[in-house]
Amino acid sequence: MAPTPAKRALPSKESGLFRELLNLYESRQLKKGLKTADQILKKYPEHGETLCMKGLILTHMGKREEGRELVKKGVRLDLTSHIVWHVFGLIQKGEKNYEEALKSYTQALKFDKENMNILRDAAHLQTQLRNFDGLVDTRYLLLKLRPNLRQNWIGLAVAHHLNGNPSDAKKVLEHYQRTLKNVPDYDVEQSELLLYHVRLLEELEEYPEALNMLDINAKSRAIVDRVGIMETRARILSKHGPPEEAEHAWRALIQHNPDNVNYYKGLLATKNIDLDALSETNRADALQILQDFTTHIPRADTPRRLALTISTGDEFETLAKAYVLRALKKGIPSLFVDIKTLYSDDQKRASIEAFFESYRESLEPSTPSPDPDADPTEYLWTLYFLAQHYSSVGNHARALTLLDTALLHTPTLPDLHTMRGRVLKRLGDPLGAANAVEQARLLDGQDRFLNTKAAKYRLRAGLTDEASDVFGLFTRKDAPSPGADLEDMQSLMYLVEEANAHRRKGKLHQALKKYHAILKVFQDFEDDQFDFHGYSLRKFTINIYLNLISWEDKLWSHPAYITAALAATQIYVTVHDDPSVAKDVLSSGTSSEAEKKAKKKAKKAAQKQQEEAKKGAAASGNEDKGLELVQPKDEDPDGVKLLSDPDPLERAWKFLAPLPGLAQDSIDVWIAVYDVAIRRGKYLQAVRALSNAKALDPENAELYVRYVHLRKAYSSLASPLPGSVGAVVAKALSSLLPEEQQSQLDTNQYLQRHSTDGRAAFAAARGQYILGSPRDEVDNTIFTVFNPDVNLLLKTAIDIFSWLNETHSPRADEFRVAADKKFALSTVFKTASEQATVEKEGLSVEEQQEVID
Amino acid sequence: MRYYLEHLTTWPSLSYVAEDSKGRIVGYVLAKMVQDVGPDDEPHGHLSSVSVLRSYRRLGLAKKLVIQSQEAMAAVYKASYVALHVRTSNRPALSLYRDTLGFSLHVLKRKHYADGEDAYAMRLSLEH
Repeated sequence: MAPTPAKRALPSKESGLFRELLNLYESRQLKKGLKTADQILKKYPEHGETLCMKGLILTHMGKREEGRELVKKGVRLDLTSHIVWHVFGLIQKGEKNYEEALKSYTQALKFDKENMNILRDAAHLQTQLRNFDGLVDTRYLLLKLRPNLRQNWIGLAVAHHLNGNPSDAKKVLEHYQRTLKNVPDYDVEQSELLLYHVRLLEELEEYPEALNMLDINAKSRAIVDRVGIMETRARILSKHGPPEEAEHAWRALIQHNPDNVNYYKGLLATKNIDLDALSETNRADALQILQDFTTHIPRADTPRRLALTISTGDEFETLAKAYVLRALKKGIPSLFVDIKTLYSDDQKRASIEAFFESYRESLEPSTPSPDPDADPTEYLWTLYFLAQHYSSVGNHARALTLLDTALLHTPTLPDLHTMRGRVLKRLGDPLGAANAVEQARLLDGQDRFLNTKAAKYRLRAGLTDEASDVFGLFTRKDAPSPGADLEDMQSLMYLVEEANAHRRKGKLHQALKKYHAILKVFQDFEDDQFDFHGYSLRKFTINIYLNLISWEDKLWSHPAYITAALAATQIYVTVHDDPSVAKDVLSSGTSSEAEKKAKKKAKKAAQKQQEEAKKGAAASGNEDKGLELVQPKDEDPDGVKLLSDPDPLERAWKFLAPLPGLAQDSIDVWIAVYDVAIRRGKYLQAVRALSNAKALDPENAELYVRYVHLRKAYSSLASPLPGSVGAVVAKALSSLLPEEQQSQLDTNQYLQRHSTDGRAAFAAARGQYILGSPRDEVDNTIFTVFNPDVNLLLKTAIDIFSWLNETHSPRADEFRVAADKKFALSTVFKTASEQATVEKEGLSVEEQQEVID
Repeated sequence: MRYYLEHLTTWPSLSYVAEDSKGRIVGYVLAKMVQDVGPDDEPHGHLSSVSVLRSYRRLGLAKKLVIQSQEAMAAVYKASYVALHVRTSNRPALSLYRDTLGFSLHVLKRKHYADGEDAYAMRLSLEH
């Protein structure tokens, strides 16, 4: 072993002090630790290890910047000390900078190969970073160093498994089982380990062995998770076992929990009955099985409902009638949502509609006298179902009429009001919708579900302040604002809706702020797994831990994240294309009353926080605040800095980066990737993105626009792309847009192919705009959406109107009037003053008073 | 999120969800065991949170979820009883626990919640 470098070695007094310093740190006696460190440094101011320890202690005391600087200095002064690198790693780990932390730990290990603490931390970091090769090595070393610690065996097995090597994982477990002595009975840890072992065998397709291990240990009660045993058994037997035994296994599960639809599917599969591909004999057999269950387990809803999916014709009608009547008598609000999934079958839908219409007639009271005190009755639930039914097939007017009739009978049922709100929303009257749901909320002020719905509908109507008031009835009173509490609680629904509301109102900075908040929530979700790399090992709950890792691997494909990423990208691309947009947005922003109030409150809260921090720092400067980063004060509460970012495309890419790997089936994702890539001059990435989009939906309207955009960008290149890249891009481009298929890009041809789709006309117009066609030609293409045989969706009309405004079309207002006429029941095309009238009509008396005052 | 992850990774067999046909969660029970108990108590189950969407009421989901959790508490951890806290003002929840599920009042805990509200500590024996 190399002699200790001269500057690291300390004479006996200081070396004793250093040992004491380490102990004081371990026991978190921070003030004493500081004093001790300073004693050493007085004589040896360049002792790297002491400097690091002092820096570490300062960080614990909240003086992070000072601490960090000292640590870095200490590292520089003693590059070959494992202590300095370990300390640096700890600091970085506390900041959740896992990559850098692992580098530091790797350095530390160079100088102290067998340090258990460092090895353990390194293992956690390697798992976090999915560096499984390294993880196996680390876990192996840990096991070698301490083979009598049970965890170390399991740690190695899991490392092999994560590294894609279940076979080696199995070998380690087998070895481990052989070392076990005196396992207590009914030991939950042992039970979980056995279930993990069985899972490994399953993965290795060693089914007889898996079953054997399962059965032996189930019998001896070594495995105590009964449901786990039953599910595993059924699963294994379904893959590899006599069908009769598999059937028994599924039946046992159904007996235990008759409400799990997967158990029924499993059972039917053992009889070769595939619910997605039924034959006539199959159908009858399946129905018989389900009927038996219904008879023997009357409280089970699942077999009854499955029977509706499977049956057809007259049999369906009989079963459906019984099912529906039962639900109507019980007054089950979710009946329609339940039945709706049958509507992909037109006959079934027609049959249901016919039944309900006749039932409604039969229940219609002869004298239309509303009784406000009556309990909701079958008649009411029938009307409610029919309203949902008609709205779902687009007949919103009829839905509203039915709801009005129902409300006459029972004005106090919140579900009727929320349904009215939903119908109005679909009709494009967000204000009317918000007012309706507010009526529901007022009927039960204690109900948070209604509160959330009412607030959400206000956000959809752009009433951000009013929404905040409603949310505030349930959020923590000491939070800076209702929104801050909801963000703290990681409410993705709130963040998405608020962001979208800001975006629709053109407050792009505030929208970006919320989209970034969503990004942070997901970042936190990803960071959360860190502690479990050690925790789950100590608890031996391996199966659920592996499920956690799997879930984290797919985390960024969550719909809320994709929504935020795509919306933020759109904003950043817009700002990149036209920086004046950012300037306009920021100069026009005059805060509303509520925004000013909230700002004042937040400022007060921040001031208070600072005062308390100062007090705290003075009084309890010795308090251990740990190594975790505390949230710094928000320097950009309105997202102004975000919107003014000098490199918006870089920001956009940060949002999009995880998506191509996880959301390959989303054409929107590929379009967004294209939009950013092309503007960054990454032609190959851009072309590949469109190729992926093409594979998903070659005639997609947004894709069409990008084809035109790409052709234009490529042909306007000032200088050809360099060497090899140029050749690859040219090749990819000719594969994407072959010369022979030039007609694909032709505007008229595209329009002809999709003559009844409003989105195609919009896409064609944008294509013409990109190619510099005269404005009136572009606008003419737009206006074809009003032709009688063109199917124009409300959403498309809204998007078109936005675009006409953005591109300063002289016919924007003309479009607005035409759209207002076409979507007569919608309010979104009304002018600001027309909307304000509607808005005021919806405010409560108190709120109107506030506006006047 | 951590709160949920801790429950699920420590007591994986005790929590359940109710899903609609699209796999969206419409109800759940989040449960755990309390094993660090003094000499006067035994290890017991604890219902940390039970919730069903208002739009999915009247299906008996809360009861079904809680029963699954209770059976696991008894089978896996040999829990002798299950406990929970409920706000004294939360009448619907009180009714669910007391009338539908058979919990009985154990003790009143003053100012149990962060906002100062009292809680009823309720218990249900799992011994057959």
